[in-house]
Amino acid sequence: MASTSPDSTAPENGPRTYTEAIRTRSDDALAALLRARPDLATPSPSTLRSLAARASSRTSLERALAHADARTLQVLESVLVLADEDRPLTPAGVVEALGAGAAAGDTDATGDDAADDDAAGDDAAGDGGVVRRVLGDLLDAGLLWDAGADAEPDLRPCPGLAEALGPYPAGLGPARPAEDRPPHPDLDSLPRGAREILDALTWGPPVGVVPPPSSAARQVVEALVDAGLLIRTDARHVVLPRDVGLLLRGGRTHPSPDVAPPRPDGRSIAPATVDAESASAALDLVRYVGLLVAAWEDTPPPVLRSGGLGVRDLRRTALALGCDEPTAASVVELAAAAGIVADDGDAPPSYRPTTVADAWEEQDDADRWALLASAWATSRRTPWIVGSRDERGTVRAPLAPDLHRAWVPRLRTRVLEALDAQPATALDLDGVLRVLRWHTPRAVPPEQAVAGLLDAARLLGVTGAGALSAAGRALLAHLRPAAPGADDDTGDRAVAAATASVGAGDGAGDGAGDGEGGAGSAEVARPGPAAAMRAALPTEVDEVLLQGDLTGIVPGRPSQALARLVERAADVESRGAATTVRFSVASVTRALDHGTTAEELLDDLAHRSRSGVPQPLEYLVRDTARRHEAVRVGTAGSYVRAADPTTLAGLAEDPRLASLGLVRLAPTVLAAAVPAAELHEALRSRGLLSALEGPDGRVLSARLRRPPRLERAAGSRGPTRPGPRPDVVPGADQAEARAALVARLRAAERGEPTAVDRLATRATDRDTPPRTGPVRHAERAPAATPGQVPAPPPGEPGDTVAVLADALRDGRLVWIEMVGPRGTLERRALKPLRLDGGRLRALDPDREAELTVAVHRIAGVEPADE
Amino acid sequence: MPDGPIIVQSDKSVLLEVDHPRADEARRAIAPFAELERAPEHVHTYRLTSLGLWNARAAGHDAEQVVNTLIEFSRYPVPHALLIDVAETMGRYGRLTLATHPTHGLVLQATDKAVLAEVLKSKRTAGLVGDRIDDETVVVHRSERGHLKQVLVKLGWPAEDLAGYVDGEKHPIELASPTHPRTPTEQPKEWVMRPYQSQAVDGFWHGGSGVVVLPCGAGKTIVGAGAMAKSGTTTLILVTNTVSARQWRDELVRRTSLTEDEIGEYSGARKEIKPVTIATYQVLTTKRKGVYAHLELLDARDWGLVVYDEVHLLPAPIFRMTADLQARRRLGLTATLVREDGREDEVFSLIGPKRYDAPWKDIEAQGYIAPADCVEVRLTLPEHERMVYATAEPEDKYRLAACAPGKNRVVERIVAQHPDDQVLVIGQYLDQLEELSQHLDAPLITGATTVRERQRLFEAFRSGEISRLVVSKVANFSIDLPEASVAIQVSGSFGSRQEEAQRLGRVMRPKADGRTAHFYAVVTRDTVDQDFAAHRQRFLAEQGYAYRIVDAEDLDAVA
Repeated sequence: MASTSPDSTAPENGPRTYTEAIRTRSDDALAALLRARPDLATPSPSTLRSLAARASSRTSLERALAHADARTLQVLESVLVLADEDRPLTPAGVVEALGAGAAAGDTDATGDDAADDDAAGDDAAGDGGVVRRVLGDLLDAGLLWDAGADAEPDLRPCPGLAEALGPYPAGLGPARPAEDRPPHPDLDSLPRGAREILDALTWGPPVGVVPPPSSAARQVVEALVDAGLLIRTDARHVVLPRDVGLLLRGGRTHPSPDVAPPRPDGRSIAPATVDAESASAALDLVRYVGLLVAAWEDTPPPVLRSGGLGVRDLRRTALALGCDEPTAASVVELAAAAGIVADDGDAPPSYRPTTVADAWEEQDDADRWALLASAWATSRRTPWIVGSRDERGTVRAPLAPDLHRAWVPRLRTRVLEALDAQPATALDLDGVLRVLRWHTPRAVPPEQAVAGLLDAARLLGVTGAGALSAAGRALLAHLRPAAPGADDDTGDRAVAAATASVGAGDGAGDGAGDGEGGAGSAEVARPGPAAAMRAALPTEVDEVLLQGDLTGIVPGRPSQALARLVERAADVESRGAATTVRFSVASVTRALDHGTTAEELLDDLAHRSRSGVPQPLEYLVRDTARRHEAVRVGTAGSYVRAADPTTLAGLAEDPRLASLGLVRLAPTVLAAAVPAAELHEALRSRGLLSALEGPDGRVLSARLRRPPRLERAAGSRGPTRPGPRPDVVPGADQAEARAALVARLRAAERGEPTAVDRLATRATDRDTPPRTGPVRHAERAPAATPGQVPAPPPGEPGDTVAVLADALRDGRLVWIEMVGPRGTLERRALKPLRLDGGRLRALDPDREAELTVAVHRIAGVEPADE
Repeated sequence: MPDGPIIVQSDKSVLLEVDHPRADEARRAIAPFAELERAPEHVHTYRLTSLGLWNARAAGHDAEQVVNTLIEFSRYPVPHALLIDVAETMGRYGRLTLATHPTHGLVLQATDKAVLAEVLKSKRTAGLVGDRIDDETVVVHRSERGHLKQVLVKLGWPAEDLAGYVDGEKHPIELASPTHPRTPTEQPKEWVMRPYQSQAVDGFWHGGSGVVVLPCGAGKTIVGAGAMAKSGTTTLILVTNTVSARQWRDELVRRTSLTEDEIGEYSGARKEIKPVTIATYQVLTTKRKGVYAHLELLDARDWGLVVYDEVHLLPAPIFRMTADLQARRRLGLTATLVREDGREDEVFSLIGPKRYDAPWKDIEAQGYIAPADCVEVRLTLPEHERMVYATAEPEDKYRLAACAPGKNRVVERIVAQHPDDQVLVIGQYLDQLEELSQHLDAPLITGATTVRERQRLFEAFRSGEISRLVVSKVANFSIDLPEASVAIQVSGSFGSRQEEAQRLGRVMRPKADGRTAHFYAVVTRDTVDQDFAAHRQRFLAEQGYAYRIVDAEDLDAVA
């Protein structure tokens, strides 16, 4: 419908088609087109014809419309609707149809050129001027074209625009050829109820449902259809045709021009309050990051295998920061964005503070904040989705590598601009969304993202009490050059460049010391974010009011040194414009642990206190210091003690014994760094007749020199009771073992007693009294005496398994004979832990090791004595 | 105000810098709505609480006034969220009112339908209210007036009680000046109510019911008497114990037109019901076979006024009884609204909002309370006692530390330094007190001492006949020892704040000659005794008293 109709009365010297209009553009106009729609230039079109084709392609149009604001869309709709009319469409016609002319009728009469209005300025031109300017931009962008001659413009929409804008532009129904229209519709002599129906459809949507048959309304609707004022589209619907709609609207396409972004109602906040809130948020954030660095320095949290910070580590971090988990997640993200913490790349990897953190900690609050804020300004991270689940149902972790989106910086700029548009006003989420929706009605940003960005802005102090702060505005100023018409690719690059300038400008300013305007910045007189924040921060105080109830109050923002002092030596009770702290034994101990002495601490405090250190506090510090380090703890490998100090004289100083690391603890006690046996040998070799003693102070005999394995085995059975010799299979007995195996194999052939039976037999055969284990076992199987019951063959897996299962259930030791890797039989006392899949997992208490044995390698099992 | 005297923190604490030129002005401005939390030497901490803001609202202050005050005196911009919260909290008071409807009787009215709907939806109000009259009014069962108020405070929508009070049985009471002497030796003297006392009476009377907060020694009894005179009706006075009851009686006879015959004592010992009846909490809370035996007292007469002494000690059963007394005027008297059981909201809903509060230090500055000098004497245990202490069972440690024998000598030395003062020695452990009593050759009052004997000794102490007195815990509550100018605490039960206020109250009664009162606490170094002393120290310092620590060895240096 947008193509030039054959009966149109285009002036002879105007272009006849869109393509022609593009082709006849001047070079400047073409450049303007490419500037307005950068996507047309990549890849470079080969001809102007193909440029025109691309400019009117659905993809490119959709893209252009996605960036269009509500005002532009309105103008486009208006042109689209009106261009169907037979007469040439002038800018004045559009202005009138939008209702934008009423406010500025006089300008309409004089200026019909958008450029004139532009020069005249917004105030003079009013809404009409705005509409004209939009028309000019749309012509530049090739979304409209001018079919008229120089003096008499005839605006036409770009082909394909109607499809791109969708059905019912401006809420108007379909256009119909002139011959189908009723010649002179008489709107005044309509049947009763007809006007109401038309009114309901006038401002769209133009489609109505046909009332049920034989109702009064149905008759009216039918009368309207007959009169040509409505069109039946199908059995159930009617539509108000465009010409009738326009007639009912009095030639207007829109009820009112939507020329300016909405200004949602918000609480108005005094700028001083905004900046104060912003500063306090900034200080909190800087403190959080400081705590984060300290916490992660102590215990670097591991990086999840899929990347990111684990739930438990996040919780621990939140605890260390003293904030909730979402805030902690944001803080972690900000610190990482600023490079203050990073994945250390070790195996296994963990997050640690970086060297940036070192430099950062040396800076003042404003600079520290600026680093975080500028990192945020360009960050593509989307921390607001932390805690939600992805498609696979996994919880998204902070710092996870996939938490970024390319559009985040652009949306952030737009959110900040929406706030900037209404200074000293606190906009809520809905307000901001309303503004954003006006700017791009066809590409509404996700609410969650906007909420997330607003939250981050609040956390950073870019906003204060919900309004953009001075520091936030300075941050935005550095982002701005890239904002208008930013495209996906170029936009981000430009933003990055802009932020680089934030850093550079600030750096220069800070180097100068006063931070007032970046010295190196080309754009002078625009204070960097750091300087803006510095101006908002309350003045530093270096004084603490110490009181008799062991509290201290810093009546303002503490200087860095003072902050360090009070954080270390006292517990903070309340933060805000002032900091109140309380000294306690624990807090003073903390300071002493950091190497401060009581004198230094008192001096430091007295120095900063107007009225000296109150006596109770002095007592507290001195009392704590007196008890501090009164009990000492150290590491020692062994000790030497003697009844007579002279015996030990000179030992600690003997250079030949230096390797022992002897330290005199008391005249009769020395501690050594080496194990007792080594110490003992060394002292013996020096000629001291030392003896080893046990924990009970009794002298140990030579038992200590036994082979370790034996010693432990003996230990497990108790040192004094000589038990039966553990049945290790010694080398000499291998022949016997072989023989036993042969015997067992034979027995198996014959169907002789099982391991259980043999055990019972052995127990009764022995002259030692039967031990509890076998007896109990024998009681459990009283019939199992040899010869009485035909038993399954020994070593039969079923039998083995049964004994093992018993042992497993009772948690008892069993003797297991198994075929070792070299085919020899080994006999070991094991404690079965698990039996399945043909494998036995068991604990060898003597070797303190777990082992897994295939059941088929087990030659025999019998319960072990306790 | 870039250089104001207060700093408002976002955690709702308000810091007042005392040395600031506008500090006094600021203090007066914020006192109606902020609770003084602590008042050490340089910076006083106030706190904004819901109850405090509602108290202010009840006293006729509106949110705008509060917000403006904060902004006016604040040194830094006031946190925005806090101002919003203040306005929101204060807006909650008075949306609901209890009123008397000409036909339906007691009703709950709402200026906001939604609030009434929200409140009625709560399970807690079920059974307390009757039929809905319209969207904004609902009938309240007369007997549930108190319970409903309690519930509404808990729900965060405190109701303003405008339902009025029964007049009560008339009984003329006048304040009498000069005083009627109680003992032959006493001389009648001229007196008038101190300005803050009459302000307190007026504040209470205009508010209807409520609590008057005055420090110990500031003459709460006289405020009670003033209220009775204003009311001119039969009065029920609830006090903590018998001794306190007798003191109330003495004071009333001394300072009002009431005679002994008009005042009854309703205690464990006597059960008199007279136009003015003084009852102890204990007798009211006595249960016999599971029921309160003396509830009939509450209905025995048509009381026009009920006075609660030491509201912060009010036991829970009395709250329940008070819930049924809502139609009578109630006056609460206390030194502190802080209750260790955290039931401040019940005091608010059942007795009433705070009607008068004077900062302790202000009254002292006006010369009505003796300034006190607080000294903590630290005693180092000898080696062998330290060893005994170190190896003692945890539950015995406090007793061991508190009863260290060395304390006796310290007390003797302190007493020796105050030869001309009336000295009170306070302790918890009877063995220790008995020993001290022998050492000092001073009479001992314990729980076992008869009331008669107690009163005799107190009288002797008051008249200067004896100048040393050793008392156990019983002395902690509401006894009047006007001339005790030195108090020595040798042991105490676990450093309760309340106890501390009481003990300090003992010595802070106004002194005839304006001498400085002394408060000594003898503490064993490096033991739990010292840990408990830390609480005491904090409390006293928070109350703004100069607090010194002295080693027992250096004691002679202390004048």
